[in-house]
Formats: sequence, structure tokens, C-alpha cells
Amino acid sequence: MSLTHLNARGEAHMVDVGDKPETHREASASGVIHMQHATLALLADGGLPKGDVLATARIAGIQAAKRTHELIPLCHALPLSKVSVAFELDEANACVRVTASCRLTGRTGVEMEALTAVSVACLTLYDMCKAVDKDMEIGEIHLDAKSGGRSGDYRRDMGLGEAPIVTGEGEAGEVTLGARCGLDEPCVLVKCLAELRERLGVGEVSVPFESLERADVGGLKAALKAMDPRFAGLEEGRVLCAVNQVMAGNATPLTAQDEVAFFPPVTGG
Amino acid sequence: MSRVRVQQQTFDPGAVQREVLGERTDIGAVVSFTGLVRDFNERPDIEALSLEHYPGMTESALESIADEAESRWPLQGIRVIHRVGRLAPGDPIVLVVVASAHRRAAFEACDFIMDYLKTRAPFWKKEHSASGDYWVAERETDHQDARRWETSS
Repeated sequence: MSLTHLNARGEAHMVDVGDKPETHREASASGVIHMQHATLALLADGGLPKGDVLATARIAGIQAAKRTHELIPLCHALPLSKVSVAFELDEANACVRVTASCRLTGRTGVEMEALTAVSVACLTLYDMCKAVDKDMEIGEIHLDAKSGGRSGDYRRDMGLGEAPIVTGEGEAGEVTLGARCGLDEPCVLVKCLAELRERLGVGEVSVPFESLERADVGGLKAALKAMDPRFAGLEEGRVLCAVNQVMAGNATPLTAQDEVAFFPPVTGG
Repeated sequence: MSRVRVQQQTFDPGAVQREVLGERTDIGAVVSFTGLVRDFNERPDIEALSLEHYPGMTESALESIADEAESRWPLQGIRVIHRVGRLAPGDPIVLVVVASAHRRAAFEACDFIMDYLKTRAPFWKKEHSASGDYWVAERETDHQDARRWETSS
């Protein structure tokens, strides 16, 4: 393992990402700001002197993600396709949990953007509430997950018994029909699950519908292989496929906004 | 309560069985199967198991297996609970409870549901052993077990 931001002489330099393939990148980060119970109650009721705290902190986080390259010296300026910042008020523990996720299709990861969004959202919460509480403490800022890119997927180990390994953001019983397509044009959302995701190093990728020579699963596989050589791994071993969460084969037709999942044979029970 | 649940938390087979039976007196047989995490499988020293699934598809696959069981046997109640996340050896992982007027239907339907669950529901196990982590491979015996139901009905 080496530090990519240092050159052979140990000097800081910006990594040339021009030769890296463009892939669908996503990262999420989270942090916590602890405060007095009374402060949290005021925040929840909208009773703080500076007004709508959460809306302001959300905008601050989004803006910060977009300007990460101005703050962190060796970060590239990235055309993020999505930034979201969410808050969860935890009354039992007197804190606000902040989560941010960033997405783009590009050549470099977006974890610094997600971490910056969380950090600045926390700082903004502090600024908005400091008139009534100066003891607030910001902490536990960390990367939760990232996907896409050569270094493969990362998911923070949440510890024994916590968060299950699940694929995608779907709720129980909910079908996420292409809702997370990362491109502006009509596309097919491809998910690689379980062992296949780790073997290929790809979790999710959006494929422009126009790039399919044939509008079926076989055509999608050909487009994927042309897009990224790692998808040659789809032909290794037994790989199953589901279109919109129903088992499918190479001849199954596709339309724009379909969700296509590839996965290894199942091993539950 | 719904017939099918995918959840992180553990379950109480006795409570689920009582819930299936309720106040009914027309049920003559209830069969309950609980699957547990073993400390040996592909390797001898398993410390934990991570279960991944495909939210959405998992529930619909389990529902259609339950539908299929109801179309094959006269049943009066079905519950399928499957856990996901990180589990330790000895933890319960899957529960199938089937109620019927007669024992044969209940036994067979429970057996059928487990065989189809193991070969059709989108769950994947990763085993964490002292000598490293690995994804569990499919077993031919599970497919043979599932094929029994294709010829006999």
C-alpha cells in the first residue's frame, strides 16, 4: 500500500487521473454533533435565533461538497451528479447525526466530498446553535461506504450485530426501478451483488440505454464489457441475472430505467 | 402479520408458532423448522457469518415460494423469517412454520419451502473463519433436494 498523493521523492502532488476509466462513483459519510438536550429541543421546534437550522446546514453541506477542491489541496474539482445531506435527531443521546452521500460518473472517488459535506454541515449546526450552547462537540466523522473505481468497494465495519450487508438502498418489499440511475440520459441501472460485486470490484453502474446494440440482457453484457474490461468476469462461473427483481436470461428484453442485477448462485437458508 | 419477513433481529420460534395458531381449532398439525449457524462448514473454524440479500426481490421470492406451497398442499398458515446481517455460530438464521389440518401436508410443505428457499431466494452467505473470509459456494445436494419436488407432484 502506498500513498498516491506523494511522488517518488515524497513530495505532495496531484494524481493524474486522465487515464483512469470513468465509472459510477458513490461515497457516503457520517458524523455526529452532541449538544444539550435543551438545545436539541429548540432545534427540533425551530426556536433558535438564526432560524431554520437544518435547512441551512443542508445547503452548507451541499455547497461544501461542491467546493472540496478549494479546501483540500490535492483534490480534483469534480462535477458531482448528486449530493444529499440528511439529519437524524437523536433525542435519547442528545445529538444530531449527519449523513452525506455524493455521486458522480468520473475518474476519481467522491469520499472527500462526502466527508467535507458532513464536516461543514456539522460546523454550520454549531454556528446556528452556538448562541444557546457553546459546549457542543463534533465527532465520529468517518466514511461509511464507497463504491466504484479500481480500489474496489469499501464498507465501514459497523461492528458485530449492526447493519446487515445488503445491496442497494431499497426498503423491504420495495422495488427500486432505476430510480438511482446516475446519468441524465435514459439508462439501465446495473447492480452486481455479493461475491460477484467483490470479484469484479463494481457495485453499481449506470449504462446509457443508447449504448446497447440489442435491447436485451445479452446486449447489456456486451455493452458492459466494452465499457469496462472487468465485466469479462460476468462470463466466469455461474452468474445469474434478474431484471426488475425477476429472474431473467440473456434474451430477456430491456427498456430504459430497468434495474438489472447480476449475482452468484444463492446460498441462503 | 405478513407471511414473510427479512430482518436483522433474532426471532422466537415459539412466539411465531403461537401467532400462526392463534385461536384456531381447525389446525391439526404445525411443523416448525429453525436453521442455525454452524461453527464448521467449508472450513472448520467459523467465527461469524454475514448474510447479504437483495431487498425487494428477496421478499417477493419468499412470497412466491409460500404461494407455491399453498397451491400444492392444503395449508392453514405459513411464516417464513430469514435473518440478514452478521450472525455468530449458534444463532438462528431461518424459521419456517407451516400449519395444516394433517401432519403430512405440514411436514412436506415445510420441507418444500426450505428446499426452494435455499435454491431460489436471493441470499448469500459469507463465512468469517480464523483463516480468512470467503463466500459460500452453492451445493449440488441443495439442487438435488429442490428437484425432488419437480417430479413427485
